[in-house]
Amino acid sequence: MKQVALRCLAAAAVLVTLVAPAAAQGTLRIGMTAADIPLTTGQTDQGGEGQRFMGYTVYDALINWDLSSADKASQLVPGLATDWRADEKDRRRWILTIRKGAMFHDGSEFTAEAAVWNFDKLLKTDSPQYDSRQSAQGRSRIPAVAGYRAIDKYTLEITTKEPDAFLPYQIAWIMMSSPANWEKVGKSWAAYAKTPSGTGPWRVDRWTPRERAELVPNKNYWDPKRIPKLDRLVLLPLPEATSRVAALRSGQVDWIEAPPPDAIQSLRSAGLQIVTNAYPHNWTWHLSRIEGSPWNDIRIRKAANLAVDRDGLKKLLGGMMIPGEGHVTRSSPWFGNPSFKVRYDPNEARKLLAEAGYSKAKPVTVKILISASGSGQMQPLPMNEFVQQNLAEVGIKVDFEVVEWNTLINIWRAGAKDPSSRGAHGMNYSYFIQDPFTGFVRHVESTLVAPRGTNWGWYQDKEMDALLATARTTFEPAAQTKALQAVHEKFVDDALFVYITHDVNPRAMSPRVRGFVQAQNWFQDFSPVFMAPK
Amino acid sequence: MLLYLIKRLLYVVPIALAVSAVCFSLVFLAPGDPLSAVLPADASTEMVEKLKADYGFDKPIPVQFARWVGRAVQGDLGTSIATGRPVAIEIGRAISNTFVLAFFACAIGFTLGLFFGTVAGYFQGTWIDKLVTAIAVAGVSVPHYWLGMVLVIVFSVVLNVLPAVGMGADGSSQWAWDWEHLRFVILPAITLSMIPTGIITRTVRALVADILAREFVAALRGKGLTDRGVFMHVVKNAGPTTLAVMGVQLGYLLGGSILVETVFSWPGTGFLLNTAIFQRDVPLLQGTILFLALFFVALNLIVDLLQTLIDPRIKRS
Amino acid sequence: MNLTATLPAVVPARPAQGYWRSVLGRLVRDKVAMFCAFMLLAIVLIAIFAPWLAPYDPAAASMLKRLQPIGTEGHLLGTDELGRDLMTRLMYGGRLSLVMGIGPVVLAFVIGSLLGVTAGFAGGMVNTSIMRTVDVFYAFPSVLLAIAISGALGAGLVNALVSLTIVFIPPIVRVAESVTTQVRSLDYVEAARASGAGNAVIIRLHVLPNVVGPIFVYATGLVSVSLILASGLSFLGLGVKPPLAEWGLMLNTLRAAIYSNPWVAALPGLMIFTVSICCNLLSDGLRQAMDVTR
Repeated sequence: MKQVALRCLAAAAVLVTLVAPAAAQGTLRIGMTAADIPLTTGQTDQGGEGQRFMGYTVYDALINWDLSSADKASQLVPGLATDWRADEKDRRRWILTIRKGAMFHDGSEFTAEAAVWNFDKLLKTDSPQYDSRQSAQGRSRIPAVAGYRAIDKYTLEITTKEPDAFLPYQIAWIMMSSPANWEKVGKSWAAYAKTPSGTGPWRVDRWTPRERAELVPNKNYWDPKRIPKLDRLVLLPLPEATSRVAALRSGQVDWIEAPPPDAIQSLRSAGLQIVTNAYPHNWTWHLSRIEGSPWNDIRIRKAANLAVDRDGLKKLLGGMMIPGEGHVTRSSPWFGNPSFKVRYDPNEARKLLAEAGYSKAKPVTVKILISASGSGQMQPLPMNEFVQQNLAEVGIKVDFEVVEWNTLINIWRAGAKDPSSRGAHGMNYSYFIQDPFTGFVRHVESTLVAPRGTNWGWYQDKEMDALLATARTTFEPAAQTKALQAVHEKFVDDALFVYITHDVNPRAMSPRVRGFVQAQNWFQDFSPVFMAPK
Repeated sequence: MLLYLIKRLLYVVPIALAVSAVCFSLVFLAPGDPLSAVLPADASTEMVEKLKADYGFDKPIPVQFARWVGRAVQGDLGTSIATGRPVAIEIGRAISNTFVLAFFACAIGFTLGLFFGTVAGYFQGTWIDKLVTAIAVAGVSVPHYWLGMVLVIVFSVVLNVLPAVGMGADGSSQWAWDWEHLRFVILPAITLSMIPTGIITRTVRALVADILAREFVAALRGKGLTDRGVFMHVVKNAGPTTLAVMGVQLGYLLGGSILVETVFSWPGTGFLLNTAIFQRDVPLLQGTILFLALFFVALNLIVDLLQTLIDPRIKRS
Repeated sequence: MNLTATLPAVVPARPAQGYWRSVLGRLVRDKVAMFCAFMLLAIVLIAIFAPWLAPYDPAAASMLKRLQPIGTEGHLLGTDELGRDLMTRLMYGGRLSLVMGIGPVVLAFVIGSLLGVTAGFAGGMVNTSIMRTVDVFYAFPSVLLAIAISGALGAGLVNALVSLTIVFIPPIVRVAESVTTQVRSLDYVEAARASGAGNAVIIRLHVLPNVVGPIFVYATGLVSVSLILASGLSFLGLGVKPPLAEWGLMLNTLRAAIYSNPWVAALPGLMIFTVSICCNLLSDGLRQAMDVTR
């Protein structure tokens, strides 16, 4: 069996060198976890998955993510803008150079005016092209943007409220729809949704709501290296995890997102590939810092971090996790060099707790909100119970309150002071931490407490605010990375969260799927993927 | 007769209105935030409030109700919160898929039910009867969503002969009545047909046994009526009730396929309903339930009228 | 899931002395019904005494012992996706499943009988208003109604109980009303009324003894429907919430393990099936035993 597989692999490798990339190869059918085809008009819904399959495939942002490497954290790369910089004199003014000759699928050209038109689509409620659906998805991604205008056909100016060096990360969220197509279909987003047009490497060939979408390569894509090798990419919404596995095993799809962890072993033994990689995800306990919370004592926070047996947890999850050593993974450029080493050291934890006046016999009691399921939450019940046991060993007694995932999201928005938080001292939440804002700022900046933002724990610290302000106003990339490292070092040194684990984003696919490079990112590039012949 | 027809038709109007009221009142029951499906997870409370106003959810409930009824009368069931598509269009797409599934489930269930029931009725008390009765009881007792799971394991995963999910390799829009597509309907249709098979078997068995036991059948036989003649007699007498039961079963299949459609990811109204529930898509939930309930009302009406036509002696109040 | 096809034949005769005894006598001779009754009794007792009988704590998870197959030492029926002992969970699961199966039927039996007898006895406007309201709920297929109400209310044990009770009230009201109406117009009841018996006396002596039997038979047949529907709600995620043990929910959470450990995953379904089929057969036996005319 192995022999045959190896031979096939070799044969495929030969084929690749001989034929690729000239010949398009096969149809790839992907089972998504979403219940519906993500919004096709540009700014997608369905969270990270929507952006992955209907955003970065069919559309481009002005600034894209580099999804070509599996080995290092993804960086921003030129998309529809070839260059971006903040004005030296007025840091609030950004100049973006628009790529020449980037064409929409309908044949019109992308210009600075088109970019302005797209910002209006999201932000200017009285513009004819304003779309409340896309706005609901996009507006919250670009809080910094105050104004924008086309200086000429290929030069775009964006102004921010305050100097904000994180703007490029925000811009990377915004997908560019085609104004010409919108005009052509009668100025209707409903009609646009049926015949979408972007600048991306894939074009929507046809789609049926809730059932499937078929993408075909855009042979005129502006980056020849990213012209897809496949003939066709088919997306199928299969929200039921078991249905996804059944579909993969019976050969109805070639690739499924997020196979249930319990199915992974059986999928492996059925000859399917399981692909994993680090990505900017953090499964953590977000701590409440309001008055009366035991977590206000740094010794207890550090003790909790030292009490978690992450290697044990990893074993139990079949290796499907990366132990948390900080807020971001060690492979992130922002990790820095924190002096507090997050590790498993129950003795040290006990010592710290003893200093704080607690012990196994006289434990400190905390109440944590958890969900029974939820996107990105991995396996919340057993994992939390594992952590609960770990903490009990050193003298932290944890009571759980289990709520529905949607309820947890609402509680998280409402903040720890809100009655809906039920006096809890923390919550188990999994975070998308791909950029400085989602990774750091939104959790800890003083001003972002409810209702303005999602600093659930009401952590408010002048020193942290200053560090964030520094990072936000450092425009030179290397210096900005340094500043963000300082932020992260404070995250870890002050043990602001209980750092537990990062998911590895498993995917299961047929052995015929080749060429996929799983980037350390929530988004992925499907252009290099091809299907080995049967 | 005519008077009965008119009375029966008129009676449907208040029922339909009351059904709509029940469907709308679902929004009163719904806790939580109907908009959580739309917003990205990191939207703040501020943004939630803004969107609420955009969708009119900040209006007093009577106002929302008046709007809803006003539009529903014109066939406009509102817009899905999650997809932004008109609810009527969503239902239209799904209902035809559910019809396909219900058609096959009915075909299986009615055929088997009539056959089993007649045989058991004829051979009442024998081992054939006992076997058939056992099958019928099993049919109504089995949790069909579980049966669906078991069928998927056996036929899709272990034997790999039938597809596990969906409605055709290229989606329901490309549906055709050929083997490539019919393969997809086999497992869900069998699963869904269990209950009608059981119920119709039991009904028909009881009817047939009852008719055969009547004195006049013996008298007819004594007068030299052939078996064929007796059978025709049975059919005539058991017909109307059987028809009524089959009609109701069809209604249940259409309205109750949610579990089976969920197990098989069949893109019909049940799957739609399930999605609507978990995305808290209230307009879609209300619209789908209203549509299915009104369909059920209409179906009951048709069955009633047919029954009366076949056998004018039956007059239901 | 049919609520109309099994309407029992109304027995408008006044039960003779010893009627229930003779019913019981016939029932005891019905081997199938007796076997089912025994099975059900055993399952109910196990569920009630689960805390004393179960070998483990139903919530005690162990990541090391996840999804052990049937026959594992120490875990006779294997373990679930969180490493909890499946036999324990099945025992405890029986409690909630039976509560969710029987609870709505009992509630609906009480409320439905009250409404039905009231409607049948009072007649006139009261009858019309009760029966027309019932008609409205009758216009929904039962599964759809249960899911609609649960779907709107959200997951939870109480919500599921409420929605199922609402589903079962209309058919019981109908049965109770029709039997009451028939009994009321019987000669001897008219005679009793003429001889000056009050409403309370008539209901107690003449109506209730006649009404309870048919509704009871009908209600026993509903238990299996209720059980399947209730676990169906849990299966969809609309019934009880994790980490509680309930068969439908167990089926739901074990679904992901169906490839690695199909038999363990199938067990809760088997339990639902067993209880459901026993209820149906016992109900059939009871129906036959009470059907004096045959």
